[in-house]
Amino acid sequence: MSELKAPPQQIPDPEMADQRWRSVLEMASLYVLSIGGALFISALLVAMTGSSWQKVFGALLDGAFLAPGRWGETLTVAAPMLLVALGMVIGVKAGLFNIGQEGQLLMGAMAMAFVGTKLDGPGVLLLIGGLALGMIAGGGYAALAAVMRFRRGVPEVISTLLLVFIAFQIIGFAVTTDWVLRDLDPNRPSRASTSAPLPDDVHLPIVHIFGNEFPIGIIVALLLAGFVAFMLGRTLWGFRIRLLGHNPRVAQKTGVAASRMGTWALFLSGAFAGLAGAVMLAGGGSSYRLTPGFSTNIGWQGLLVALLAQSRPLVAIPMAVLFASLRTGASFLAATGVDRKIVDIVQGLLVLALLIPPAVQFIRERRRALSAAGEEA
Amino acid sequence: MDGHNMTSGEPPILLELRGMTKRYGPVIACDDVAFSLRRGEIHGVLGENGAGKSTLMKMLIGLALPDGGTIRMDGEPCRIVDPIQAASLGIGMVHQHYSLVDALTVWENVALGEKGSLARETTRDRVVGISQRYGLEVDPDAPVRDLTAGLRQRVEIIKCLRHEPRILILDEPTSVLTPEESEQLFEVLGEGVRREGWAVALVSHKLDEVLQATDRITIMRDGRVVEQVVTAEADASSLARAMVGRPVTLRAGAAAIGGSVEQIVAGPGHEVSSDGRPPLLEIADATLRAPDGAVLLDGLSLEVRPGEIVGVAGVEGNGQTPISRVLSSLLTLDAGRVMVEGAPIPTGKAGAMAAAGIVVIPADRHASGCVPEMSVAENLALSSMPKMATRGILRRDEINAHALRLIDEFDIHVSSPDALLGELSGGNQQRVVLARAMSVDPKVLVAHQPTRGLDVGAIEYIGERLRAAADGGIGVLLISTDLGEIAALTDRIVVIYRGAIIGEMARSELDIEHLGLLLGGSVEAEGAA
Amino acid sequence: MGDFFSAVADIFSSPTIYGSAVRLGGFIAFAALGELVAEKAGTINISVEGSLLAGAFTGAIGYDLTRSVPLGLVAGIFGGLLVALIQANMSHRLTADQFVVGLTANVLVLGLAGFLNANLDPVVRRASVLEIPVLSDIPLIGPALFGQTWPTYLLYPLVPLTWWLLYKTRWGLEVRAVGENPQASDVSGIDVNKRRRQAIYYGGILAGLGGAFLVLGQIGSFDTAAVGGRGFIAIAAVYFGGWTLFGTVLGALVFGLADAFRLAVPVLGYHLNAQMLAALPYVLTLVVMYAITKQFRQPAALSRPFIRGLR
Repeated sequence: MSELKAPPQQIPDPEMADQRWRSVLEMASLYVLSIGGALFISALLVAMTGSSWQKVFGALLDGAFLAPGRWGETLTVAAPMLLVALGMVIGVKAGLFNIGQEGQLLMGAMAMAFVGTKLDGPGVLLLIGGLALGMIAGGGYAALAAVMRFRRGVPEVISTLLLVFIAFQIIGFAVTTDWVLRDLDPNRPSRASTSAPLPDDVHLPIVHIFGNEFPIGIIVALLLAGFVAFMLGRTLWGFRIRLLGHNPRVAQKTGVAASRMGTWALFLSGAFAGLAGAVMLAGGGSSYRLTPGFSTNIGWQGLLVALLAQSRPLVAIPMAVLFASLRTGASFLAATGVDRKIVDIVQGLLVLALLIPPAVQFIRERRRALSAAGEEA
Repeated sequence: MDGHNMTSGEPPILLELRGMTKRYGPVIACDDVAFSLRRGEIHGVLGENGAGKSTLMKMLIGLALPDGGTIRMDGEPCRIVDPIQAASLGIGMVHQHYSLVDALTVWENVALGEKGSLARETTRDRVVGISQRYGLEVDPDAPVRDLTAGLRQRVEIIKCLRHEPRILILDEPTSVLTPEESEQLFEVLGEGVRREGWAVALVSHKLDEVLQATDRITIMRDGRVVEQVVTAEADASSLARAMVGRPVTLRAGAAAIGGSVEQIVAGPGHEVSSDGRPPLLEIADATLRAPDGAVLLDGLSLEVRPGEIVGVAGVEGNGQTPISRVLSSLLTLDAGRVMVEGAPIPTGKAGAMAAAGIVVIPADRHASGCVPEMSVAENLALSSMPKMATRGILRRDEINAHALRLIDEFDIHVSSPDALLGELSGGNQQRVVLARAMSVDPKVLVAHQPTRGLDVGAIEYIGERLRAAADGGIGVLLISTDLGEIAALTDRIVVIYRGAIIGEMARSELDIEHLGLLLGGSVEAEGAA
Repeated sequence: MGDFFSAVADIFSSPTIYGSAVRLGGFIAFAALGELVAEKAGTINISVEGSLLAGAFTGAIGYDLTRSVPLGLVAGIFGGLLVALIQANMSHRLTADQFVVGLTANVLVLGLAGFLNANLDPVVRRASVLEIPVLSDIPLIGPALFGQTWPTYLLYPLVPLTWWLLYKTRWGLEVRAVGENPQASDVSGIDVNKRRRQAIYYGGILAGLGGAFLVLGQIGSFDTAAVGGRGFIAIAAVYFGGWTLFGTVLGALVFGLADAFRLAVPVLGYHLNAQMLAALPYVLTLVVMYAITKQFRQPAALSRPFIRGLR
């Protein structure tokens, strides 16, 4: 209401600077408190099982980085997580909350398995074709939710979720049905439902370095992270995506149709998850075989990575590594007698904890803005 | 109203405020304000937007807590912390139709915000009782969504009277009413004051209205009380000066403070002889229904020629927002056409209206006018982004330069182009919206309630800009519920009612009574004219 | 194809399918009733899934500790409520995004239930069947509705109770108001976010009870996969019902019937593709949502946060 002729930041006020300094300090302590709280709860759970958090922490660190060959494993896991997170970021920027990555990832892996085991051709071509078809499959699966959203107003939050459960069944069907993807080799491992393994020449190249090895998926993911950051921040396309996310009406007015741009965004979002699935399979996930449980929660966890990174593509990189290391570290927990599911809890608690400080900051800023605007309620 | 001041000396003071102070951050909204209400008076609180009158009332009703000052009811000091407590003290506020929930019925709305168990029959009976007693007829079981603006306000008043207040606060009550409905409202208030001894605080920025309806006037400016007068002894020009702090000359300025429409019309006119030229914008037989079947536009037709400002006058909710949204490509017409320079433009197609040269300053600035989460520079470049990109990559320098140019030209107060738009004041945000609209060299400029909530300076500025745009050959469509604004700025006035244009007149032929009848939908008035 | 249809006809004429539809649909209905209230107040509460699972787990623990079904159900309520407390306070006090919070809460509950289950391994027994005299003798629907385990009957009074709360109490009026127009409700003196939190608590309580019912009144054991996305189907049931109470319950029963059909097929000796059957309830949900979402007017402020002064 009151017209504020001069914005407060123009006034060189020592008190103001003091306040800003204080608010930074407050933010920092909020972060410390909430992360500390999350870790404390996790430690309590560990204590409940009779183990000690030091032992657990040591095991996690060994499993994720220190033991021979482990950080390569961590990077291997981080790659699909980062890819999924990047897709999530694109969706969120466009105001769309795609949370069906677990299913889209499976569809991508299925496409890779199809190209790799059912088509003939030079390995490189099949590999690239499989990755591309994986993107299309994941993207197309997510685009179903876009159609439902933009034609009929079905919230994508619900439809993408429900599609996950359907994807599980589709994969289950594919790998148990002879004419789809089931391994026809009579010598396949036991009677498990599985596809044939990808032929050797359709595997992602493996990097060997310092006694560690990992497929080049992580390199692809890192490059894409930079690319997504650039696209969102610096290009017309990214501007339009952000505009749509912030204000669909203004977007529509200026020529960005929610139905078209939003469908694209959801498609891309799913395409990244699909690529993650293809990369996992071609990178050696479950011995290059598609199985019903193939996704192993990578989709969910990649989603959490994006949330943790607050939709910033470059921040998603360390977050993906963090989550991946919790995962790979968890496989060393058996020795401590603590169930590896503790890691899921730590991940969930961390995400919740990191939601708190920005929310508190937002409320504060809002209050300040309200004050400045004369409580124009 | 009529001079009903008691002959036996002054009536007793019911409510007294002293030293009321409220700060919002660095801004002092109310600074040591004294104010009193007597039994049986209508007390006008006059001031432009941002003068502190709303804040003062919010403190009275418990929506804002004072930083200092004392409140006395019947001489007893008290503290008011929320609207419900205020109600228990006998203070009620008639909100401007935004305290109603559309999906609920009248009686449910009246019951909202009370305490105790929900009793349908008693609430309904009370609603009917109050309706009959004060002549505020309304069906207690009707869903509020089906009611006209005038009826909605009745519900607001009933909602307030349900608590049997001794003190009524009305904040800009007539802004959504036809002149006839306004008159009815003041009759109801006058009746209550005479019969029940209510004390009424009438908050307004309209001089005319306050002069006609009140017994005393308190004038506020910049958070202070600058004058307190008995209405019978006041005159318009001195009130205007006190309110704005300087003489007001411009027509737009006069409109901004609600001088009577006659005065505004009598001011210097502006005649455009564009009749011969083909229309820039033409809307023909536009028909639109809401998903629930309600008629939004009912065969609406209008034209805007180059260099003229066409005012769309009407009571809120008669199709103004649908027009603005159709012209923003936000809605698709069921039937009818929109044409620019004779070429039909597809409705509802993203960006099509903008590409054809129509820019819209929407009434709901935040919802469809700008993006508070983006920077000022990005907001200013919204419509021209494609031109500021090379092979899809944004040229940041150019966006920045573009922003600096517009910030300078439109006198936008901002620390840097990178500041978030949401951090700007309402007036400055509106300047950003206007600057962006003008920066694309539009053919047609549509302004929907462009001055709502702005102070006089900003209102004058927007008015000048609209005039300048028209003088530059642009066709301007000004959609407003404020007759003063329409009278001050436009060359030609069309009246919108229930989604159709039911009358038209040149500004020079403006007859306020005739216009009032049209606003209420009385088509006979058109026939008689 | 003809075989298929005769199989379907056969299955639907078997009385057992209706009994199991009530059990499976009842489980969804507990959650959907609570979700309806949360959505009426303006929240799409996806943590209803977490509340169900938490209720199932704490219900199992409660029974394991006390060997009492009623106390197990009470424990389930607390489990569901705990998740709702997190959801409500994070999203309607701290104003974090409701979907982010809900999703994270679901992940967290899944992890916690798995972890604690591995460590505590509760032993559960199914509650006894209570045939209500006279009523259970009604052909077809009698045994289906009144020949169930006794916790099933808790659902029945919850339907009128929820109706009464929503439409006959001041609380319900305010809940509906904040879901339609939070700004107007605020001006009328209602604490918008408080009502929204309370509506989520109600949802959490009902979902917790539903989860405990699943374990104690239906399966008789606990498994982290037991809920398996049925919380989301409860949300779909609310959409199916067009945000009406009757429609929501009907939606829950329809989805329950689809679930029951899936289970009945192999039992009656028919062979339909297992994956297709398992996907059926979810596919049906999507199809129904596609067909129906636009037909109804949803609460106007659904899934929009309320922050004073911000639209």
